Amino acid sequence: MQADPIAVIATDGLTKHYGKVQALVDLTLDVRSGEIFGFLGPNGAGKSTMIRTLLGFLHPTQGSATVLGLDVTTDSVEIRRRIGYLPGGIALYDSLTGKDALDYLVDLQGREPVRRDELSERLQMPASVLKRRVRDYSRGMRQKLGVIQALQHDPELAILDEPTEGLDPLMQHAFYAILDDLRAQGRTIFFSSHVLSEVERLCDRVAIIRAGHLMALQHVDELLARRKRKVELRWRGAAPDLSGIPGIADVVIKGDVMRATLLGEVAPFVRAIASPSLEDLTIEPARLEEAFLEYYAGDEASEETRG
Amino acid sequence: MNLRLFRQTLRWNRVKLLAVAAAAIGWGFLLPVVYTSFSEAFRQLVNSGTIPKQLLSFGSGNFFTLTGALTLGLEHPLSIAFMGIFAVGSTVAAVAGERERGTLEVLLARPIARQGLYWTLAAATVVLLAIIMAALLGGQIIGIVTQGLGNQINLGYMPLVFLNGLMLWAAFAAFGLAASVSFDRTAPALGLTIAYLLLNYFLEILGSLWTAVDWSQKYSLFHHFQPGNILVGKADLLDLLILGIAIAVPVVFALVVFPRRDLAAPS
Repeated sequence: MQADPIAVIATDGLTKHYGKVQALVDLTLDVRSGEIFGFLGPNGAGKSTMIRTLLGFLHPTQGSATVLGLDVTTDSVEIRRRIGYLPGGIALYDSLTGKDALDYLVDLQGREPVRRDELSERLQMPASVLKRRVRDYSRGMRQKLGVIQALQHDPELAILDEPTEGLDPLMQHAFYAILDDLRAQGRTIFFSSHVLSEVERLCDRVAIIRAGHLMALQHVDELLARRKRKVELRWRGAAPDLSGIPGIADVVIKGDVMRATLLGEVAPFVRAIASPSLEDLTIEPARLEEAFLEYYAGDEASEETRG
Repeated sequence: MNLRLFRQTLRWNRVKLLAVAAAAIGWGFLLPVVYTSFSEAFRQLVNSGTIPKQLLSFGSGNFFTLTGALTLGLEHPLSIAFMGIFAVGSTVAAVAGERERGTLEVLLARPIARQGLYWTLAAATVVLLAIIMAALLGGQIIGIVTQGLGNQINLGYMPLVFLNGLMLWAAFAAFGLAASVSFDRTAPALGLTIAYLLLNYFLEILGSLWTAVDWSQKYSLFHHFQPGNILVGKADLLDLLILGIAIAVPVVFALVVFPRRDLAAPS
């Protein structure tokens, strides 16, 4: 595969085996400059293996990967100089205060903490909280400290492993706003998650991974456009004729309410039902969850078979 | 080597270091005092035949000469505990402990090569061991001077004793670090390092107490720490060479294994 010239992350046939266990299989993807890229999969799908390979913690069994144009096996130190990383379930030095931990880590990074004040304010980690020892922090506070340490030096690329784990809804939204701003400033974000709503809300593109295999790599919009939407109509008088409308299926009529599924374009459907007798129309937005579950349906079936 | 990490590693150990160094000075000081106070009484007790001589020979030490008393102090389990806190405890915790706690990946997410991390931890360990060894010997020197025993010993040999002792404990520390970089959990690394230390100690003590198996001492690293011989001007460079090899082998092992290891997500 020819590497994408603007790819911030590019993998080519990346494979990682632990003995007989295939953690990643022939994974080829690219993350482009300035995008928020979601890496989706349930626990054990290979998300953390992929991230740890990009950081040089794991050595690929086959294939190759580059980050910021640098090879992950030979230029790992330089890669880590230029990125920010939030590990999943981050552990920090309990004996240090929050501020000392941030000072220590940014010092090791060899960069100035140019974003620390802004991040601390937005994530509600004032100086009084940062003065306390990490051992006294709640899980959410540790996670916020983890986010700050990953982003405080304003990295070109942030790799975030399940970043909203442990954050309350208010802080999740503050975090989403931070990522939106980083994207607007041209930074690239690669984050893994199994929270589909946040991926849908934030990401430009997503990769869906299952048992180490790449199942999908698409723009979120494209992925959703190919999904079925649920539609519900209420009308007066005779039911409209939906036969012949492309993408309509699973039609169920109960009294003056009709429910169906719609795959594809909405406009032909709306044109077909437009009539004075139409009283109400609901088209539920396509959800990433359905796409995700579709890719994982095979797993559930095989689990049931095994069970 | 990373200076920031080096300073922080020393800082994290400072309270422990101060406490152990103070205890080591006290212990070192005690040996010349005990020698002055009890050596004659011990001699009479042994000459009476009540106690077999072998039972009073601990490693290469004894209470009948000043150098023997100093050697005894440096090979006593208390000294081993002082040095072992850093040669075993700190080294094992340095990588396996961080890995177990999950902090290693935060550290290695910085631009630090694994070899650089290893050398930094190794350098910090050597500094810690050097301070404790200096405290032990410093305490002994204070004891010698205050007891008026300075004419019985050539203190000019003390730097060589320091080097020999530091090399002995650097060998155990190198083993501990090699174990530490090889495991994801502290327990197996600690178990292996303690077993290595105890095996060496056992071989040394066994050979010194049971003359039929005195050959076992040659296989103990403790046998190549000979402060008594050094202090009477009989230093053997072979001891330093053997300890040097005992340092080099685990260092090379760690430098080969650590960068090649897969550091999977903590379970």
